[in-house]
Amino acid sequence: MAVEAQVPYQEAIEVHHPHSWVTKYWFSQDHKVIAIQYGITAIGVGLVALVLSALMRLQLGFPDTFDFIDPEAYYQFITMHGMIMVIYLLTALLLGGFGNYLIPLMCGARDMVFPFVNMISYHVYFLSVIVLLASYFVPGGPTGAGWTLYPPQAILEGTPGVDWGILTMLGSLAIFIVAFTMGGLNYVTTILQARTRGMTLMRMPLSVWGIFIATVLGLLAFPALFVSAIMMLLDKTIGTSFFMPAISSMGETLDYSGGSPLLFQHLFWFFGHPEVYIVALPAFGIVSDLISTHARKNIFGYRMMVWAIVAIGVLSFIVWAHHMYVSGMHPWFGFFFATTTLIIAVPTAIKVYNWTLTLWRANIHLTVPMLFAIAFVITFVMGGITGLFLGNVIVDVPLSDTYFVVAHFHMVMGVSPILVIFGAIYHWYPKMTGKMLNDTLGHIHFWVTFLGTYIIYYPMHYLGFVGVPRRYFANGEMAIIDSSVEMLNQTITVAALIVGIFQAVFIWNLIYSYFRGKDSGHNPWKATTLEWQTPETPPRHGNWEDKKLPTVHRWAYDYSVPGEEDDFVPQTVPQKAVQAEPQSAT
Amino acid sequence: MAEATGWRNLQVVDDWAADVEVFRGVPWGKAMMWIFLLSDTFIFTCFLTAYMTVRMTTAEPWPNPSEVFALEAFGVPVPLLLIAIMTFILITSSGTMAMAVNMGYRRRRGPAALLMVITALLGASFVGMQAFEWTKLITDEGVRPWGNPMGAPQFGSTFFMITGFHGLHVSAGVVYLAVVAWRVWRGRYEKQGYDIVEITGLYWHFVDLVWVFIFAFFYLW
Amino acid sequence: MAADTGQQHPISVYFWIWALLFVFSAASYTVDYIGFQGYMRWALIIIFMMLKAGFIVAIFMHMRWERVALITAILVPPGALLVLVALMAMESDYTWATRILYFGEDPAPVPLPPPSH
Ligand code: HEM
Ligand SMILES: [Cu+2]
Repeated sequence: MAVEAQVPYQEAIEVHHPHSWVTKYWFSQDHKVIAIQYGITAIGVGLVALVLSALMRLQLGFPDTFDFIDPEAYYQFITMHGMIMVIYLLTALLLGGFGNYLIPLMCGARDMVFPFVNMISYHVYFLSVIVLLASYFVPGGPTGAGWTLYPPQAILEGTPGVDWGILTMLGSLAIFIVAFTMGGLNYVTTILQARTRGMTLMRMPLSVWGIFIATVLGLLAFPALFVSAIMMLLDKTIGTSFFMPAISSMGETLDYSGGSPLLFQHLFWFFGHPEVYIVALPAFGIVSDLISTHARKNIFGYRMMVWAIVAIGVLSFIVWAHHMYVSGMHPWFGFFFATTTLIIAVPTAIKVYNWTLTLWRANIHLTVPMLFAIAFVITFVMGGITGLFLGNVIVDVPLSDTYFVVAHFHMVMGVSPILVIFGAIYHWYPKMTGKMLNDTLGHIHFWVTFLGTYIIYYPMHYLGFVGVPRRYFANGEMAIIDSSVEMLNQTITVAALIVGIFQAVFIWNLIYSYFRGKDSGHNPWKATTLEWQTPETPPRHGNWEDKKLPTVHRWAYDYSVPGEEDDFVPQTVPQKAVQAEPQSAT
Repeated sequence: MAEATGWRNLQVVDDWAADVEVFRGVPWGKAMMWIFLLSDTFIFTCFLTAYMTVRMTTAEPWPNPSEVFALEAFGVPVPLLLIAIMTFILITSSGTMAMAVNMGYRRRRGPAALLMVITALLGASFVGMQAFEWTKLITDEGVRPWGNPMGAPQFGSTFFMITGFHGLHVSAGVVYLAVVAWRVWRGRYEKQGYDIVEITGLYWHFVDLVWVFIFAFFYLW
Repeated sequence: MAADTGQQHPISVYFWIWALLFVFSAASYTVDYIGFQGYMRWALIIIFMMLKAGFIVAIFMHMRWERVALITAILVPPGALLVLVALMAMESDYTWATRILYFGEDPAPVPLPPPSH
């Protein structure tokens, strides 16, 4: 069944160049424009979440000071903050933003396979954001059920936003999933079917690998969220009892009976755990490329890195109930899920070793992207280690629902991916705009963010140990709570405010450099991957010259190769004759 | 590759190791449809798992589907009569769809379009019967999504949700088929080829496939 | 893509499968009609279901003629669902047991152990 080596179809495709402003910047089918649209929307809504976290911190640091923050408002902040950060910022930015930008460029394609669907994907995402933010304008405000939205409480009186907020939230999630599916199908198909000549899977940069597997996880995990959102909507609106047991609320017996709240938790975490890796894997991939490029050294153990990403992706579907140790589930599950959870730590640890070994005796350039990359490795190790604590049932039971958990997940899925996103923006901004970001502002931004997050999250581990519960509006005079807590909470709040305000430096840098930044040239970091070899910067619609796609001759990590003139060899440079490898694949 | 040894001898490894594309010769649209169906499989399985869970956990009796869905024929109640007919209709529509794909690849666009239209009509009649079934269930048996006189309220909830979601898929498929059939008829695919018929077919067979599982798990359990 | 690379198979194959699907559907219907119960019922229903599903995927959807790369890519991931289903089945048994224990009427009551906490 031999099939001749394919000519990339995209070689011959003529891209249709739009002319009006609307088709160029709003209804554009160019993956780069769509990426930037995703990026701006995600960062915009992320700033909302940042403000919400600042408000929460104000309340926690200085209780009884701010009249407008009552318990209801606090729960609404917490829910919107968590959901926005995880879904509408991180997932959208890493996959919709970086996925869109990098996949075609790094694979040597002209665009995504179905640019029209890709365009719709963004607009549906935009709609989901509007619906989400509309929560703040409906009667009763957004839901305060926590980002996990556990029923029964999520749809019962007493939870803020029970009339409208929960509906907009669930509706928005369903819309988001539709948007993600349209984008995700494109990313996966492009990677599998539309690479350029010579670009085998095992020559793809790890960024693409991370985004690829994360997208696959998304396509397989979001269905569980979709299904649970629909069932909860039905429970709420027409009174079915999927998740609702017989229950009486506020002295009144409700009409529900026989549903299973545990079912929701299982479905939610069947989505929720892979979701953690949906934001982690792209970050893993991107950081590998940042480290390798800025350390002028090939990534250590490329194949191992790829297989680790794949293994993590597979395993992430069988660890979900480690979020449910205290839920009253089947008593045998603790053993099963603790075991799988500890197994998944193995490929994860391999990745950390490989990053470290890549840095080992490398020619490290402490550029801003590199600083963020190193900060990521450190932070990820911190969060990963506390993860091992929480993966064990016995240790988790007392720590569950304390600030230890808050510290853990912020380290591992909050701060870590955010650091990589920052690093990645500093790294790829020159390609997106043709301008360098300002270095001094970058350094200020880095140090404040990095040190600040440690002042914020380090003490939270301690708070958790002394028993400060998660999702509490105020601790009041609880006897179990140590007197040190108050002072720490104030410190954390001050640090959080400073970090939050200093993000303005970053935003300013993005705007300022766009107009006044130094010209970057095509390849300011002397990187090997394809996106840096485009004939124009920023690359035009269609990315490469007409009728000609690049040909790939080597992997993405030829840095400091002995005997080469430069300390990097782009993927498009043929192997020297002596070491030539057979080119035809069949 | 002359010196291919060991691993690389396996076609599947060779395909995954190739440049340009993994699924050789598979058009983009078809690859994308397959991946979409994979994702949709997860949606339906989550629905069915939820159904299994509520059914297994309920402490109330579960109405016997073969009685609830019985129809009078010649004066005797025949269990699951309508469901059996619906099943046969959907299978038949899968058969006509498969033949439409075949005709498309033979570039006989008239028969291809005709077979697709027949498929769509069969699909529409399926939806029609489903509407009848729902009506009967609601008006005669008093089944509602939130309760029913025969036992566990989840009987109605899961029934309406799962068959409803499946019915939406069928309805969407009917529209999809109609649009593609029209375009085939007009000769729109003469240049680029008739993969599109196969892609539409994949979707349609998938809808049939889901019904196989619903039939077994909902009606026969 | 050239059009003639598509899936082309003799029409008779489709008629065969069509007939088989009818037969299996009728067979699983008969299982219900006769009223088999217990393991027998489950075994038969699941066998017929898998046969039908298998033929639809293999022949109508042409999976049988696809290259192994596509087959694996589509058929392996649903393995995760099997884990979900299996564990949820266990979980449901457990939930049911606790419901009977705390709220239900057990046909053969055993005295509860005294509460330990
Ligand atoms: C400066 C940055 C941030 C600050 C100051 C912050 C602060 C907070 C605070 C105070 C809470 C409530 C904890 C409680 O009372 O139990 C919280 C919850 C949460 N945060 Fe953040 N956060 C930040 C960034 C992020 C990021 C980047 C993520 C992305 C994953 C994130 C995800 C979450 C989640 C998922 C929750 C849980 C919400 C819930 O319990 O329903 N946060 N955060
Ligand atoms: Cu998890």
